[in-house]
Amino acid sequence: MSFLTRWGGNGAGDAGSVRVDAARLLGVADEATQAASLQDERAAAQLRRVDAAAARAGEVVRSLGESADQAGEVATAAEQLASSANEMAASIEEITATAANLAASVAETGAAVEESSRSIQQVAATAGEMATAAEEVSAGTVQMAASVKSVAGDTDALSTSVAQLAASVEETSRSTEALAGNADDLAAAAEQSLSSINEMAASIEQAQASAAATAAAVEQVSVSVEETARSVQGVAQNAEVIAASVATAASGAKQLEASIRDAAASAAQAADVTGRLSRDAEEGGAAVEKSIQGLSRVRTSMAQSASVVREMGKRSADISGIVDTINLIAERTNLLSLNASIEAARAGDAGRGFAVVAEEIRHLADRSARATAEIGAIIRGLQEVVQDAVEQASEGQRVADESGRLAEDGLAGLKRILAGIEQSSAHVERIARATEEQGQAARSVVEVVSTAAEQSRQVTAATRDQATALQELVAGSVTMRKSGVQVAAALAEQSRAAREIVKAAQATAGLAGQVRRSATEQAAATTQMTQVVESLRRGAASTSTALAEQSQGAERIAAETGRLTRMIASVSQAMGEQSASAEQIAAAAADMRRQSDQTSRGMAEQARAAAEISTATQSVARQIARVTASNREQTAGARQIQEALAALRESVEAGRAAEVGLDLPERIRLLVRAPAGRQGY
Amino acid sequence: MSQESPEAAADQAQPPAATEPFILFDLAGATYAVRSAEIQQLEMVESVTPVPNAPAAVDGVVSVRGQVIPVVNLRARFGFERIAIGLRSRLLVVRRDGRTVGFLVDSAREFARIDPGSIHPPPEGISGLNGRYLEGTAHLGGRLVLVLDMTDLFSPDGLEFASPPPAATEPGESTDP
Repeated sequence: MSFLTRWGGNGAGDAGSVRVDAARLLGVADEATQAASLQDERAAAQLRRVDAAAARAGEVVRSLGESADQAGEVATAAEQLASSANEMAASIEEITATAANLAASVAETGAAVEESSRSIQQVAATAGEMATAAEEVSAGTVQMAASVKSVAGDTDALSTSVAQLAASVEETSRSTEALAGNADDLAAAAEQSLSSINEMAASIEQAQASAAATAAAVEQVSVSVEETARSVQGVAQNAEVIAASVATAASGAKQLEASIRDAAASAAQAADVTGRLSRDAEEGGAAVEKSIQGLSRVRTSMAQSASVVREMGKRSADISGIVDTINLIAERTNLLSLNASIEAARAGDAGRGFAVVAEEIRHLADRSARATAEIGAIIRGLQEVVQDAVEQASEGQRVADESGRLAEDGLAGLKRILAGIEQSSAHVERIARATEEQGQAARSVVEVVSTAAEQSRQVTAATRDQATALQELVAGSVTMRKSGVQVAAALAEQSRAAREIVKAAQATAGLAGQVRRSATEQAAATTQMTQVVESLRRGAASTSTALAEQSQGAERIAAETGRLTRMIASVSQAMGEQSASAEQIAAAAADMRRQSDQTSRGMAEQARAAAEISTATQSVARQIARVTASNREQTAGARQIQEALAALRESVEAGRAAEVGLDLPERIRLLVRAPAGRQGY
Repeated sequence: MSQESPEAAADQAQPPAATEPFILFDLAGATYAVRSAEIQQLEMVESVTPVPNAPAAVDGVVSVRGQVIPVVNLRARFGFERIAIGLRSRLLVVRRDGRTVGFLVDSAREFARIDPGSIHPPPEGISGLNGRYLEGTAHLGGRLVLVLDMTDLFSPDGLEFASPPPAATEPGESTDP
């Protein structure tokens, strides 16, 4: 029985392992379903992202068009800027020419001022001489009185020379006014140049703003391209995740197939074992039936022998009773013989013969008693043997009964085992069939999953290519952005240069204003000088008058001469002052010339700056041309992105249309569930 | 047979004057000899009727040939354990001084002649204790036989059986050798 159980247990174990494999298969299929649904969701998400990326690429294209337009505008503005810079350069050259004229006139003015200064010095010297003369006059008043007529003549000459001086001073004043007018012209020209430089700065700022707009557009393009790149990278990652999950599904399907193959092998083994088991069980059943028949015969013969032995026991009891009777008779005989002996002894000699007889009788009785004792012992031994035999016979009968029952139980068990084996062999056959079907299904699953893995790899590779192309696009946009930044920086430098120009022009204007102011001051000083010369002339006139009066009054001449000396001293002082003023005027003129030179240099710098502006503008134009070209490239790249995204979308849709996604795990599950339902018993 | 033949030959060969007839009985593993003349008869015992207030060694009474006699259990009397009465149990019916008493023994199957000269007095160690019952010891065919003196068994000390037997008047029964 034990071997049947063992084999039955092993069959159950195999079925159990098949069940476990089926459950595992089911689990793997569920996982595959989940993975496939995940894959499907990710494909949908990928599709959505591709759409979004396509929309963004469209936006990129649109913004690239806008940026191209802006770049065109910028180019136009740059050309305008170039023309205005040229204009500005022309105006600066005009200014430079004017400034050169101004410098020349200033130089002339300076020369005139120097001349005036020299004449003033001469005047001063003359005034000194005059003072000496006046002192000489004062010293030799008495002599002078005599020569007043000649002094009057000298005074007339002085008056004439003063008039000459006044005329020269008036000339100086006029030239100073001319200088002032020139300074005004210079200021106006400086203002003009300032305004034109401001215009240039404004146009440069405009250019800078448009370049910043270009940079912003490029930034936008770059950002959207980076977003596209990120989303494509996300797509790539998703594709890799899909590839990984498909690979997992593939390995799971391969494991599944391997385990199904194992299950098929063990099912075949189980069928083999079950067949052997069935034969063994049938042989065992036949043997058990034979043994049951033999046991029933044994029981019958046991019962017979037990009854025979019991009968024998009964007989031996009878014999024992007979032996007891014989024994009793023997005892009684012995007793009687002893009593006879006693009587014979009591009878003395008469009883001698009787005593002998009694003796013989006692001997016989003893012998019969001994014989009966032996018989009794034999009978007792026989009865013990019989009792043993009876007990053993009934024990044997009981054992035979029990064995019969056990054999019948065994037979029933064997019949049940046979039925179970038939059932289990049917199950095993069904398991084998189902496992074969599972194996075919698993092989097709493996093929399908391998195809899916290949497709997923292709998708991953395509997405990776897209990512690479987008990376290149990102790099291009970065370069574009950098060139935009360079343009902006160049424009900012231009703007700074323009601002510096503006500042220099403002400084020029300020300097021109200063020149004008100093010219005005000079004019005022010249006017004063003129006035002083006038008063000198009047003084000379009054001297003439006084000399006339001198000639009239001689005593008052000394006082008058002292007063004259004082007057001459004050004149000398005034002349010193005038000389100082003239020197100041000269210094101012020199300053003016220096200023004019500076103006001229500043204008030259302006011209250089304008040339630089022109160069910078040209470089701006070139940059913008590059921007436009890269814009065009960007547009082409964005179109490629769009095309790639359209291809991606098509491939994703194709992947979905190939039912690699949701349909595959459903098929796996159906395939797995069908055998699992069949083998559950 | 080989042991009995010389004995029988000795019975016949020995003159009666030289030997005395004895009845041999077994009790508690030992063989005793008692003079045949003292025994009136032997009886088989089937059942003993107990009597109230009987002495310790007295089992009761039995009826023998129409006479009711007390049964003294010799095992009890000699300080052995009582055993059940069986097929081989015997009652030695003894008549002395007008009293008839049955002594119950394990068995009594032999009749033998013993030379009184071959009876040795009991050993010193036990004479003081059992001298009243034991006349001596004798060897009979290699067996040690204790020769019993019935006198003391009838003494008041040995048998506190006060009532005199009712049928004590059987004349001429005081036999002797």
